[in-house]
Amino acid sequence: MVAEYIKKVIHYIILTLILGIMVFPLLWMFRVSLMPAGSLGSFVELWQGNFTLKNFYDLFTTSSMGRYIFNSSFVALIVTAGNILFCFMTAYALARYRTIFTKILFVSVIIILMIPAHILIVPLYVLMLKAKLYDTYWALILPWLVNPIGIFLLKQYIESLPSTMEDAARVDGAGEFRIIMTIVMPLCKPALAVVAIQIFFTNWNLFLFPYILTSSESLRTLPVALAHFQGQQAIDWQHLMAGSAIAVIPVLVIFIILQKKIVSGITAGAVKQ
Amino acid sequence: MQSTRLTTVVLLLPWILTFVVFWLFPLLFSLITGFTDYSLISRNATVWVGFDNYRELITDQEFISSIKNTFIFVFGTVPITTVISLYMAVLVNRRFKGRGLFRAGYFLPSITSMVVISLIFTNLYNRGGYIAGLATMLGFSTPENGFLYNRSTALYSIMAMDIWMSVGYYMLIFLSGLKSIPSELYEAARIQGAGNIRQFFSITLPLLKPVALFIIVINTIKSFQVFVEIFVMTKGKFETASMVYFIYKTGVTTAFQFGYASAATYILFAIIGIFSVIQFLLMRRRQPLW
Repeated sequence: MVAEYIKKVIHYIILTLILGIMVFPLLWMFRVSLMPAGSLGSFVELWQGNFTLKNFYDLFTTSSMGRYIFNSSFVALIVTAGNILFCFMTAYALARYRTIFTKILFVSVIIILMIPAHILIVPLYVLMLKAKLYDTYWALILPWLVNPIGIFLLKQYIESLPSTMEDAARVDGAGEFRIIMTIVMPLCKPALAVVAIQIFFTNWNLFLFPYILTSSESLRTLPVALAHFQGQQAIDWQHLMAGSAIAVIPVLVIFIILQKKIVSGITAGAVKQ
Repeated sequence: MQSTRLTTVVLLLPWILTFVVFWLFPLLFSLITGFTDYSLISRNATVWVGFDNYRELITDQEFISSIKNTFIFVFGTVPITTVISLYMAVLVNRRFKGRGLFRAGYFLPSITSMVVISLIFTNLYNRGGYIAGLATMLGFSTPENGFLYNRSTALYSIMAMDIWMSVGYYMLIFLSGLKSIPSELYEAARIQGAGNIRQFFSITLPLLKPVALFIIVINTIKSFQVFVEIFVMTKGKFETASMVYFIYKTGVTTAFQFGYASAATYILFAIIGIFSVIQFLLMRRRQPLW
């Protein structure tokens, strides 16, 4: 009995130790973002120092923080909406209309699923430049509107649904598009939610492509703006961490509310990040 | 019948366009560009140069060092990440109070923006930062300029951060694998008197092999593309530049050598391609795809 108890205690000690290592950097970020400018950030200050929201206030008044938040939200929401609609459409056709054509297209989905996006650095840059889309919202949105991971997950989900309802509606004379949008799409809500969360997170955190495909300050998303902040001599850690906290908070809130959905999405779609 | 065909095309149009415009065209474009001297600033017309870019690359010290750094990064982080995430998965797989909280906490870093994580660790790794403080407390000597501004520690510091960030993600995938192991196996082992460690090595590990293999492959593919943390933390200095960093630097900054960077892209593509083929085969085995 005693041995069992000691084992349990050790188990909790290890668990807590790891938890500390995993969350300390993020807690540190939040704590520093609330410190008065000029603090040294010593360990004593973490516990006993003052709290202030001034860093956040400064960011909104002296930088275009509002604009960065808008850009990040706008781009991520449009890309997410696009993926919900387009991935669903593609997945439905691939799952239900079995022809040589759809089979070949599914192979294209699988291949792209495994090709690293970073090989697009040069060609996407040239493409956007030549198409005169460089430094516009289009450059941030268009390439990511249909993500193969979304198609893959939704296709699997649709295949697991019986097609009896669709067949019945067809017999009643309903058009294909009405069947797809009003009967099948509502049934796919759980899978659509998983896809939406994953696409939103990926796009919200995206850095490299927004960074190379835009140059105007007014088009910076939060990660891009943060990287630019870092290059400025004038900015201190308190303000930099306040900006970082702004970029993390939405993800954190969504994660806390939708934890179960996110976890099931990871385990179902652990194919491509 | 005619209308179904039309419906199919309309439904598939968004993907077909994305595939052709943003994947197929760029892939072919950089394949061809890799054999030319195409660049943004050159005044002369673009010339076909055959394998010149590739020949130049294999003697370019900067490129060779980026390959070296990338390989150190991949083969250093992937095994450690796999072992730690497996250990963490086993740790939180048991039933105990607060299990959900621990799992969520471990997973948290992997959904945080890489730019933010890199900024945080830039400070923690600084001279006088918390990590240097901890190292001193434990009796280790620390580099004078902080961990990131030093040739011998910069890359390893970034690797350590990367492991910290991604273990939670792979832990979740291992957890789904652990759940699929029937509990009768463990009961049978216990009846026969096998201890925890014995059970782990003769039941858990062999049955998790497919999941582990899968994790190793996707993590390898992901790690070969390391860029953001290097860009934010060291700007490729102190022997940290990765292959993607090299492509970024030669391709879309200063000289805009599209041809040269495209050739480098295809070398990276070929290396990753090997692992992609393995992933493809694994996926087919996990679930019949068509």
